[in-house]
Amino acid sequence: MVAQFLGLKLRLLANSFRRGPWQVIGMLIALAYGIAAVSLAVAALAALRTASIAVATGITVTAGSLVVLCFLLLPLAFGADDTLDPRAFALFGLPTTKLAAILALTSVIGVPAIFIIVVSIAQVVTWTRSPLATFLAILGAIVIIATCLLGSRVTAAIASSVLATRRAREVSVLVVLILIVSISPIITIALSRGWAAGAPQILERIARVVGWTPLGAAWAAPADAAAGHPGSAVLKALVGLAFLAVLALAWRALIGWMLVSAPRISRERSDSGLGWFRRLPSTPFGAVAARSITYWIRDARYRTTLIAVPAAPLVFAVILAVAGVPWTLLALIPIPVMCLFLSWSVHNDVASDNSAIWLHVASNTAGWADRLGRTIPALIIGIPLVLIGSPLFSALSGAPGILPSMLGVSFCILFAGLGLSSVISARFPYASVRPGDSPFAQPQAAGTSAGLIQSMAFVLTLVFSTPPVYFAVRGMIDGAVWTGWSLLVGIGFGLLVFAGGVAWGGAIFSKRAPELLAFTLRN
Amino acid sequence: MSTVAPAAQEAPAEQEAPAEQEALAEKTAPEKYVLELADLTKSFGATHAVDHISLSVPTGSIFGIVGPNGAGKTTTLSMVTGLLRPDSGRVTVHGADVWKDPAAAKRNMGVLPDRLRLFDRLTGGQLLHYAGTLRGLDRKTVRKRSADLAIAFGLEDALHRLVTDYSAGMTKKIALASAMIHSPRLLVLDEPFESVDPVSAASVTEILQNYVAAGGTVVLSSHSMDLIQRICDFVAIVVEGSVLASGTTDEVRGTGSLEDRFVELAGGRKTAEGMEWLHSFSD
Repeated sequence: MVAQFLGLKLRLLANSFRRGPWQVIGMLIALAYGIAAVSLAVAALAALRTASIAVATGITVTAGSLVVLCFLLLPLAFGADDTLDPRAFALFGLPTTKLAAILALTSVIGVPAIFIIVVSIAQVVTWTRSPLATFLAILGAIVIIATCLLGSRVTAAIASSVLATRRAREVSVLVVLILIVSISPIITIALSRGWAAGAPQILERIARVVGWTPLGAAWAAPADAAAGHPGSAVLKALVGLAFLAVLALAWRALIGWMLVSAPRISRERSDSGLGWFRRLPSTPFGAVAARSITYWIRDARYRTTLIAVPAAPLVFAVILAVAGVPWTLLALIPIPVMCLFLSWSVHNDVASDNSAIWLHVASNTAGWADRLGRTIPALIIGIPLVLIGSPLFSALSGAPGILPSMLGVSFCILFAGLGLSSVISARFPYASVRPGDSPFAQPQAAGTSAGLIQSMAFVLTLVFSTPPVYFAVRGMIDGAVWTGWSLLVGIGFGLLVFAGGVAWGGAIFSKRAPELLAFTLRN
Repeated sequence: MSTVAPAAQEAPAEQEAPAEQEALAEKTAPEKYVLELADLTKSFGATHAVDHISLSVPTGSIFGIVGPNGAGKTTTLSMVTGLLRPDSGRVTVHGADVWKDPAAAKRNMGVLPDRLRLFDRLTGGQLLHYAGTLRGLDRKTVRKRSADLAIAFGLEDALHRLVTDYSAGMTKKIALASAMIHSPRLLVLDEPFESVDPVSAASVTEILQNYVAAGGTVVLSSHSMDLIQRICDFVAIVVEGSVLASGTTDEVRGTGSLEDRFVELAGGRKTAEGMEWLHSFSD
């Protein structure tokens, strides 16, 4: 029985290599990254063998806890691989405990599993300093491996059962995303300021606290033993074992519960009236615009964009601030960058509709109406953003005279970017996340050229914004007259590209509508 | 049912012409045949999904297309509705070529595709509104027709809920309603009764029959032979991309039932041999 399950998991793993040449290349690249990361970790752990106990403790416990945390949290956000979903075995009538044990065992086969097994073993090398430390390191390795693998199965099971409703899933994804976004600047600052102030001390302080938590206990036990505190070492080992026992019980309970309960059906939500359809004109263009706005509000895939737009320049600015770029320059960045991401975010809009696009094809919707309607949500957000944000940030920069340039450059990026996206999404669609899937799920058949198209849309938008940027730079050097030109040229040229893009994209859409539908069906 | 009747009624066509119907009438006037397929082909790689299909659908009739799984029914209907570009051949709807004059042809056609998504993050009411507006109806007409369709299909309570929360049968019904909202001359319905409960199927059938009585035309595909035999005036049996038999339902079925004739044409029953182990149960 165990052999059958392990064989099944191996076959599933092998089959994931059989999808398409580009996917295999993608996986090989990911694999190469993984091997590099693991080798680095192993080398570091081996090198720590000769380091002082305090330094080694700080690094292994902090980094180790972070790894365990990732194993626990990532399945919650990204929906882990549930190829061996317990529910799939509900009809075979296996005893629950046996099924739980076997399924837990199968998680040993997998790429993340190999990573954590190798790292845990390498961690033993760091701590072979005394018999007790060696023993606790070996025990710790087993506990770490079991905690990570079982923990990720438990959170994945929670994600697929308790959080299975559409609403709950969307909310949990957003919560984790906000966590990640809010943590990243903190980490950036902590790292840059921290190294200067003496990182080892900070890491040791973190390790002292985290070492007592279930996340770090198994990592910290051998360190305490090596430092000559056998009492606390054994206690920490017990904390790790106790957490593992809790996970095992939770896993057994979850399986028992999942086997007898049907997948949860989302609570039906009512939405009164026609919403945006009532507010916008009753024409094909108005209907497409209303539909797009409704989707931007309701669909998790678009809502992640809405969070990424303000987050991207924030992270960007924090990193540059840490690197020592003065505030007066930094204040120029956020608004244009937000416009860039906003206009770029619709460059694959047709693919997000998936095969629902048939409705536009069957009703012979005019290409320009489809193209223009899809840009409306970005314009509704973008135009107020530029009008309110630009005065604010030019005041912050300490050079209010820059305002016309900032308006010109931002509007040009917004308009020209949307025009380009209109053409690109009609001409070069690539596989996208399907409706209802997690925004982070991998598209089933990743296109051959997704990355190429993404960068093309990005770079072309930047190219088309050079005219107002040129005048903005002259405005900084040669005086304020040029900033007016930047405003005029920015808005004028931007609108020109926008109109051209909508017209050209519309023509492409009208001509290629059946091919676009065929593309979404292959997806 | 005035909401689903064709905008301009035509003189009801004579339906007493089975012999001519068999002859794939090529030179008939557009009023007589609202939909004509001439020599339609489509290949996917080496597979000939649709292999030179020609059909003429008389105005004011219900025309059934039946065939085993993978026979090319959906492929044929997709090419008729302008969703899939044919390799060769011609499709005309009310005299307009679907692939040369799509604006005119698609205006006269209501479409229910099989296994394509809907914009399911809209509520039922919004989806109807969206479909109607894309078809060029004004706000007042859309509102009136949405209300009528909701009552006809029993969806009044569901209009305010997201389509993604609908059951399979309700999804089919809202899609059917969206296909009718612009009162087309021709309805092309791929598997309209799949996963629809018997009560709703009966009311859908009644809606379609009233629509046809008022001069509309329905082309539908189905696996349910009983249903096709009961409601269709004409039927075509498609196997491996070719029309094996077509004509009035009575002609095609002959003396037996349509199902018998269909199984005979589709290659006969496969006898289930070597399954004796199924008759001795494991403890």
